[in-house]
Parts: sequence; structure tokens; C-alpha cells
Amino acid sequence: MSLLNLTLAQFLGLLGAGSAFLVALYLLDRSRRRHIVSTLRFWVEAARAPETRRRHRIQQWPSLLLQWLALALLLAALGDLRVGSAGTPSRDHVLVLDTSAWMAARVADGALMAEARELARAWLRRLPAGDRVMLVRADALATPATPFTADRTLIEQAIERSEPSATALRLGRVLAFADRLRRSGGNAGEIVFIGSGRIAPEEPAQPARIPGALRFLPVRGELENCGLRHVVLRRDPRDPALWQILAKVRNYGRRSQSRRLVLAFGGSPAGEAVLRLAPDSEEEAGFSFRTQAAGWLEIRLFGKDALPDDDVAVLELPALRAIRLLAYTRQPESLRPLLATNPWVRVEVRSPEAYDPAAEADVVLLDQFCPTELPRTHSVWLDPPADRAPAAVRRSVAQVRLSRWRTEHPVAAGLRTRDLWLASARVLTPAPDDVPIAEVDAGPVILARPGRPKAVIFGFQPLATAMRYEVALPLLFANMLRWMAPDAFWRQEVLAHSAGSLTLELGEEAEGEVRVLTDAGRTLPFTRERNRLELFTASPQQVRVLTSAGERVVSLALPEIAQARWSPPAGVRRGLPSLRAQTSPRLGLWPWLALAAGACLWLEGRLYGRFQPPAAHGPKRISWRAVSGWLRRTGVARS
Amino acid sequence: MPGHDWINQKFLERLERLALRWRKSFPGLIGGRNVSRFGGPGMEFLDHRHFHYGDDLRAVNWRAYLRFEKLFLKIFRIEPHAPVRLLLDASASMGLGAPSKFDYARRLAAALSYVALVRLDALVLVPFREALESIMRCVGGRHRFAPIVEFLAELCPDGRTSFLEVARQFVGRFADRGLLIVVSDFLDDDDALKALQYLADFGHELVLIQLWAEHDRVPPWEGRLNLVDAESGAALELDFDATARRQYTAAFDAYCQALRRVALANGGRYVGLPTTLDLEEAVFGLLAGAGAVEA
Repeated sequence: MSLLNLTLAQFLGLLGAGSAFLVALYLLDRSRRRHIVSTLRFWVEAARAPETRRRHRIQQWPSLLLQWLALALLLAALGDLRVGSAGTPSRDHVLVLDTSAWMAARVADGALMAEARELARAWLRRLPAGDRVMLVRADALATPATPFTADRTLIEQAIERSEPSATALRLGRVLAFADRLRRSGGNAGEIVFIGSGRIAPEEPAQPARIPGALRFLPVRGELENCGLRHVVLRRDPRDPALWQILAKVRNYGRRSQSRRLVLAFGGSPAGEAVLRLAPDSEEEAGFSFRTQAAGWLEIRLFGKDALPDDDVAVLELPALRAIRLLAYTRQPESLRPLLATNPWVRVEVRSPEAYDPAAEADVVLLDQFCPTELPRTHSVWLDPPADRAPAAVRRSVAQVRLSRWRTEHPVAAGLRTRDLWLASARVLTPAPDDVPIAEVDAGPVILARPGRPKAVIFGFQPLATAMRYEVALPLLFANMLRWMAPDAFWRQEVLAHSAGSLTLELGEEAEGEVRVLTDAGRTLPFTRERNRLELFTASPQQVRVLTSAGERVVSLALPEIAQARWSPPAGVRRGLPSLRAQTSPRLGLWPWLALAAGACLWLEGRLYGRFQPPAAHGPKRISWRAVSGWLRRTGVARS
Repeated sequence: MPGHDWINQKFLERLERLALRWRKSFPGLIGGRNVSRFGGPGMEFLDHRHFHYGDDLRAVNWRAYLRFEKLFLKIFRIEPHAPVRLLLDASASMGLGAPSKFDYARRLAAALSYVALVRLDALVLVPFREALESIMRCVGGRHRFAPIVEFLAELCPDGRTSFLEVARQFVGRFADRGLLIVVSDFLDDDDALKALQYLADFGHELVLIQLWAEHDRVPPWEGRLNLVDAESGAALELDFDATARRQYTAAFDAYCQALRRVALANGGRYVGLPTTLDLEEAVFGLLAGAGAVEA
């Protein structure tokens, strides 16, 4: 017998207290009460003398007994008294519902998720009514959806709202989390895992610890599916307009597949490949695609399979942005080989007479020419005339050797040439913010002027010296352009990857600052170990990894499909529990107890109640005997 | 009485159809039931007679004179008006009950006063306790109803009842006989029956209206009771059960029967009203049925 989770002693104590209260009320009810009446005339005739000795004694035992019985029955009814064995106390169960990306797979009669929901509801129906359940949704994370509750409606609503996510199942951490939850409750029940058992590739075949009270309700896991694992797009280093595309496709099924991989840019076909995929294997397909424009590139794997979400990836390609360099020189032929070596630079050469300070360009190069109005953008000055040079000329020197490079500045980064002789040069006087880039013994001959716009001033014409034959010159020009327009030199890479955890190799840009931003501009947390960057996203989204040397756009839109399947060990229970073993009587005795209490109260009121049904008014009462006598006397009726 | 919660306007409109009735022929008045076979001043034509010196010339039938050249006098049916007195018990015992017997009694008194006012009867309202209190004369038509209501509203139940003293004072103050309506619970410690018989013997036509609360007739209590008389303050301690309740009710009913006998034996009427009975139903049902009022 169970009543409000009370032991028998507690129940009897409660009943005793109620009974004492009832007897006290009874005695109080039977004690003397004061009433004001209109006259004492009729009372004197009707009443008996008081018996003071019985004043506090129970005079109507059956009445008290009936009231006590009604109290006990009402108490039992309110407490929802149930008759059954005491060996089935309520327990706390953890229902782990697999919501990994694999659960979105479609089968002939619906989705795997619907099958899992139906299994969960069936298990819930077989659970004793008093048992509490917590629903945990499991993918890469374990997320509690409800607290421990016996409210079946609440749990069924949470089950109905459970949808597949984009990440794969990490079974080990999910089971460990569920086991901690189960033990935190009062009376630990079992952990019920409902899902396909497909686990993430980095997961071990068996979790480190399998909880003892684990029950596994599997859904169908063997399905034929092929999907994109990831896609990488990089610009060709030698031809920035050319995109190198690499797509990796995996066959998750048990049968060989032949699938067509189609590339489309802006809705127009851009490439196609047919892949023959062996069971449980991966294939790569490479494409080259030339465009300078921005747009959406779609990679689609044609053919029917169980999971369509991983058959397509859509990536946003940025437009090609090159540096526009405007050179004012009277010796274009000498400059052209130097500037044409860099594919990221578009060069336009004009004569000094065509100088326009407002001309649209990222960098302006002024060769031995000094205009009256300074350019409004970044500028490179080559041996400007001494009288109007942007930096004051201290003196002119001849046959001097470049003795020092300021290699800590980005313009001189990597320059080590020391035996470079200059036939003639002007020693410049740096302004307060100017940074000497190269110096001779007499002073600086190359100055870098930070600020906006930036400027680099040469005290000599490099193409007129022996420097034109040195590798230092194109490197110096490349450094200058990178310093002035760093955006154009960023390395751009676009990737399509599955949601969940992502590892990126940063390479040479690992030295500087790294930022990871979402589409909404929010910073995404990440970990960084040497040149490896790791981050995690639970939902599909696009993130940007910004380094000092480049930008990577990662579209985490592909679902993270599990490759391995977990095989539960022998100790794990399988299938739904038996109905007879788990089900307890759902209908309690309270309606019958309440009815019996009502019957007792009615009987007590009927037998000993104070309010008897009033008789008819005496003066108005008709005496039929008198009526019949009157009728006989008046002759209307005869005796 | 518009605006007052005792009696509503609809009830007053129904009361206008009623009239107080008596059966006796009182000394100085001719005929009972408000109708007389004798001629006199009135509205309804009864007969002609020869004119005698000193007759009222306004009653001469001048058409008959023009035809017969003799003076004839028109005689009308007289409409006698007997004096009506209403004795209202204002003792402390009337304050008991829910609603209290006194509230019920003064509503009933107001209703009967309104009936008398409409019919131009001369009704005197006399509250009493141990003796007669100040009286209120109800004459002059329905527009005089408001002072009566105010008079009744100012009354409150208090003090003891002494029917013998009241009867003695009543006979001394009101020498002319008439209709006497007594509204009371008649729960006097002395013998009220003797006093009522005394009034009847004096020549008054009695209409006894007895009011009782439900617990006056069927006490709901049981067990150990400590009872206090509302008027005298006397206390009584007793055990009370269902059997005693039955005996109590039988004694109460026997007293009611005795009151009834006193009224009927002297040509009067008796009406017993529980306060739970609706007043409108009491007036148009029990009072009309007993002949105290007539439509």
C-alpha cells in the first residue's frame, strides 16, 4: 500500500492526529452552547434535566464512529491510496534520444527520427506512472530537454519537438553525462538510449565506460548513402582568377555507387565528374574554374540516397581584387618588367604631364617627378627632385654602399643584401614619423612614411643602380605594395565542411593575430595550438577565419555524418521492457474511497443529524378526522 | 413607498385592490362587512322619501318636483367605517429570527396601514411592550403613507411583553369598539390568552396574526443547551434531543391552537405566519384566506 509516499507509521500517525481532532470537535459539538430564545415556556415542558456527569463523555458512539470512518476514507482518497506491492517505488530514468545528423535519414516509411520518437513513446507507455523521466537530446553535445518529471504530457511534447541536428553523435560523453544525471536523482532508474548508434569518426568503437543500467532501443542504421565530406576552393597562386576546387565524397553504404558530381556557378554548369565509390570509401574530384566575379558556387552530388542534406554544398566566392598601380614615368620600359612580375598588380603607366592628383588608384608611383599637388592615395617616390622632394635632402653622395636595412619594418622584411653599391644617391632627412628603411653610412636613403596615405621615398632611382639585378628589388616592391594595400595580398580560401568540430592548419600566418567571426559578426571561441586552430559549431553556419595573411571562409553547412556504428556489449539490455513487469495499476482506489466516505457522512447525518426535516406548520395542519366529522355533521357524507 | 426596501412599488399597487373587513356590528355603527341596508349619506342610490322640514335641500329630487309638484328626497346607501386598531408587538422576543420577527411584523403593519389609507379607513397603529407606546393615526389617503413608514422604521424591539397590562390600557384608551388587529409572537410569560379574551369580551373583533421564526417552532439545536429568555433574561440548562424537539414542537402547536380557538370563538380570525413565508404570499394567501382582508 502506498499513500503520498508515506510509510505505514506515518500514515497511522496522520490518521491518529485527524481522529483526535475529530473527537475534540465531537466533544465540542456535544458541549453546552448558549442560545437566546423568545420564551422558555415550551422548553420547560419538553426538556430533561441536565446530566452533568456525562458532560464530556461520548454519548453517541455510532455517530462518532461513522464520522471517524468518513475522515479515514477521505484521507485515504485524498492521498490517492493504491494497493500493490511496496517493491515498486518510483525511479528516475534518463531517456537519451539520438538527434544526430544521421537521424534525418529517410527510409521508405518515413524518417529515422520519427521511428525513434515512436520508440520513445512506446517505452514511455510501459513505464510505471510514478516513475520520473528526463529527456536528453544527444548529438555532439548532450542537451537536457526536460527535468526529471512524471508528467508524461510534458515529456511527449519534448519528444515531439526533438529534431535531427547537424552534428554526429559523441556516444561516450553522452552516456557519461546521462549516468551522472541518473545518479543525481533519488532512486536511480535506467538509461534508455534510442537511436541508430552511428558515432562520430573520432569516437572509439566502445565508450570508456558503459553504464550498468543501459537499455538500447535501436532504429535502422544500415542505409545506403553517399555524401560530400568537404569541399576546398583556393585561388591559384600564379593566376588569381583561377579557382582550384577539390571535393571529397564518401560512400557510407554497403554497396558500390556511381554518382555524378556537378559544379555550377551562378546557376550555370561549371564542371562535372562521375565518381565510382566503393563501399565505405572516399573519392576526390578536382576542378579548375576561372572567374574574377563574386557569386555562389554549388557542388551537387546527383542520385537518390537516404540523406539528401549532404548531397549539396553552396559556397560564396569573393571577387578578385588586384592592386591598381598608376606610374608616372618617362621610362616606362624600365619599370614594366619590375611591376609585371606580380600577378596581383594591375599597372597603368602615364607620363608626368598627365598627372591627376585625384586619379583612381591604390598606389601612385612617381619616377623622378614631383608634382605641385601631392597625390591623395599611397605613393612611391623614386629619386624625387631635391627642391620639391617630400623629404628634405641632406646631401648627395656617390659610390656609397647600402650598409643597413631596417628589417623589422614590413617594407624591409626579408632583405639582407649588404654589398650593394649605389653610384649616386641623396641622403634624406627623415620627418618625425618617418622610418628609415635603408641606410648608407651618411644616412637614410629610403624612408617609409606611415599614416594615411602612406608613402615610401627613395633617395635614388633603383633601376639605375646595380640593384636592378638583385632579387632584393622585386621583394622590396612586393613588400611596399603589401604594406600599402594589405587586403589585396590576403590569401583567400573557401571551404565547405560539416558542422561540429573543425580543425584548420594555419601555416605561415599562425604567427599573428587570429580572429574567428560568424556571419552575424560575433566572435566564435576557438583553441589554437601552434599552427592548428580548432573550433566547434553545433548548428550549420558560415564562419570567417581572419589571420594577418589571409581570410578563410568556412561554410559549415554539411551535416556531420557518422561513419562508424556502435555495437552494444552483451550486458546492455535491448528492446522495450515487458508490459506486465513494468505496469502498475493506473486507476487508484480514490473514487471508491471518496464514495464510501460520502456514504458514511450521509448515514451519520441521516441518523444523528441536527437538521431534521421540518414538520408542517401546526396551526395550518389539516386534520382529516375533523374534516370527515364536519362532513358527517353537515350531511354531506354519511357514516 | 418608493425608495424604501421594506415594500416595493409593485406590492403597493397590488395592495390597492384590498380592503380591511370586519364581521361584527359595532355600537354606533350600522352593519358589518362595510355594507348597510339603511339609508344615509353615501354614493349609491337606495330610495326616495317625502321631504320633511330640516332635510338637506341638496338631496331633493327636483325633476320629481317638476312633474308631481311635491318634494321628494333621495336616500343613499351608507358606507360605515369602523375604527381599526393595529397592536404591534415591539418586545425583545420579536427581534429574534432571521429575518427577525419584528422586521416582518412592521412590514406587515405597513402593508395593512396602506390598505386602510387607500380605503379611507381610520386605522390607529399602536406599538406595545409592557404597556402601550405612542400611537400613530393613519388617515387621509395614500399620500400619508410615508409618515407611517418613518414611524415604523424608528421602532426597535426591546423590553418585555405584558398582554394583561396592554389590554387594560387599551380598553381604557379606546372606548369605542372596532376591529383590533394584533401582530405579535404571543410568547408572553403571563397568560396572553386571558388578555385576548378580555379584549374580545369588551366587544372588539380580534384578528390575531401570530409570527414565529423557524427556530421558535422547531429548534435546530441538540445536546447540552444553555437557554436565555430574550425578554426576562432567565436562563435554563437542559439536554435536548430529537424526542425533546418533538415535544417542544407539539407544545408550541398546542399554544397556537389555543390562540386560534380564542379568536374564532369570539368571532375573530387567526393567522399564523412563519417569517420565512414571503410577505406578499402571506397577505394575499393566508390573510385573504382567513378573511382579514378582502379583494
